[in-house]
Amino acid sequence: MTIVRNRWLEIVTVAIIGVSLFRSMTVVADVTQGDVQRIMYVHVPSAWLAFLAFMVTMVGSAAWLRTKDQRWDRLAASSAEIGVVFTGLAIVAGMIWAKPVWGQFWTWEPRLVTTALLFFIYLGYLALRRAVIDPVQRARRAAIMGIVAAVQIPIVYYSVNWWRSLHQPSSARSIDTPLRITLLLGVVAFTFAYAVLLRRRLELARLEEELDAKRFEQSQSVAGADITAPSLASHPHD
Amino acid sequence: MTFWRQVYEVARKDLLVESRTAEVALMTAPFGAAALILIPLAIGTDAPLLSQLGPGLYWIVVLLFGMLVILRKSAVDGQAQRDLVRLLGIEPAAAFAGATAATSALVLFFEVALGPILIALYNPELRGWPWLFVILPLVAIGMGLLGTIASGVTTSIGTRTSLTPLLIVPLSLPLLMGATQALEGLRLGRGIVPWLILLFAVDLALAVSGVLAARPLEEAVT
Repeated sequence: MTIVRNRWLEIVTVAIIGVSLFRSMTVVADVTQGDVQRIMYVHVPSAWLAFLAFMVTMVGSAAWLRTKDQRWDRLAASSAEIGVVFTGLAIVAGMIWAKPVWGQFWTWEPRLVTTALLFFIYLGYLALRRAVIDPVQRARRAAIMGIVAAVQIPIVYYSVNWWRSLHQPSSARSIDTPLRITLLLGVVAFTFAYAVLLRRRLELARLEEELDAKRFEQSQSVAGADITAPSLASHPHD
Repeated sequence: MTFWRQVYEVARKDLLVESRTAEVALMTAPFGAAALILIPLAIGTDAPLLSQLGPGLYWIVVLLFGMLVILRKSAVDGQAQRDLVRLLGIEPAAAFAGATAATSALVLFFEVALGPILIALYNPELRGWPWLFVILPLVAIGMGLLGTIASGVTTSIGTRTSLTPLLIVPLSLPLLMGATQALEGLRLGRGIVPWLILLFAVDLALAVSGVLAARPLEEAVT
């Protein structure tokens, strides 16, 4: 019972992912695209999750600048890491889908370009975090970058959208009910997966910080430690 | 000292340092010009093709080689210079605005310096060229703002020269898009107002973000 109480989120997530996976494999195939359309059940939830994760990063960044509480920084960083992974997944899934449907892996369509840029923007954010050792300085610099990046995202999105558009518009409302339910189930499953991953990553980040603090304490030398007392063993006749 | 006087003095200091070393004029601009000469050797020297591609290549060179202009300030300003500015009681927002003004002026100089080389080598169509008096400064200001923010968060980091471009380049897409599409619009005789609005919106968003982040940025490099 204790395991169930402690792991309820993981258990629920595995169950929902299982149902989502089963449904995405068994639901009726799309009339025009056939089985390749099933990639949508991974691609769309991944993209949704990436945007959700980056929004959480912005909220965590703003909250850190306001409160200076390291928990917000851990939230921002953990969410960005998960966001980058799912952005990558969305891009790869989109490319696999695009090859049979559009005839090529990559087309210069707005949402594809925007998603790729998001990947690099937050890769830069994570690189910035790795480059700064001091936790407070790291949190401060990353928080500024987290907010500036989030402010730019809508502009990046619209600029590319104005440029040209091949990508099919949001199809959640235009598709048949069984397919829509499967898609929404995928979104729910991925959101639960995000919650589990975020909780785990936050715990890991807290442990990393504690370990770093202990290492720092141990590395601080005690005053006078450089002066060693003469060893009696070296003067056996005294 | 008023806020705007502080902005002026900080910008003057940065431009004075540049006038002594002439790094942008004597090193970065020739480097960009060399790139414009090399590109046709890689993609082909077909005159109509180069005429069509020229403006886009020009903006790519401005964006990528402009990084060197942006990085110049963070390389020149050491901890002692930053401490001095703080001890003088310069407002963080004024220091940010002054640094942005100087960087933007240098990027604008870089853009203008490459312009004649583009015209000579690529022979682009120059329809609606007076609009360049609006487009070039808007791009320069955007790059200056983005560069000052990114340089601020990467100050005193060992991997600064690699990290700063990684932070700037993906975020500068709207600037590249606005600049290239505005020129394309002029060439085809279409309206360019949406692209100018885009450039202005980017500059405004970055200016607000930068001014609000100025104090935390200053604390970050203390």
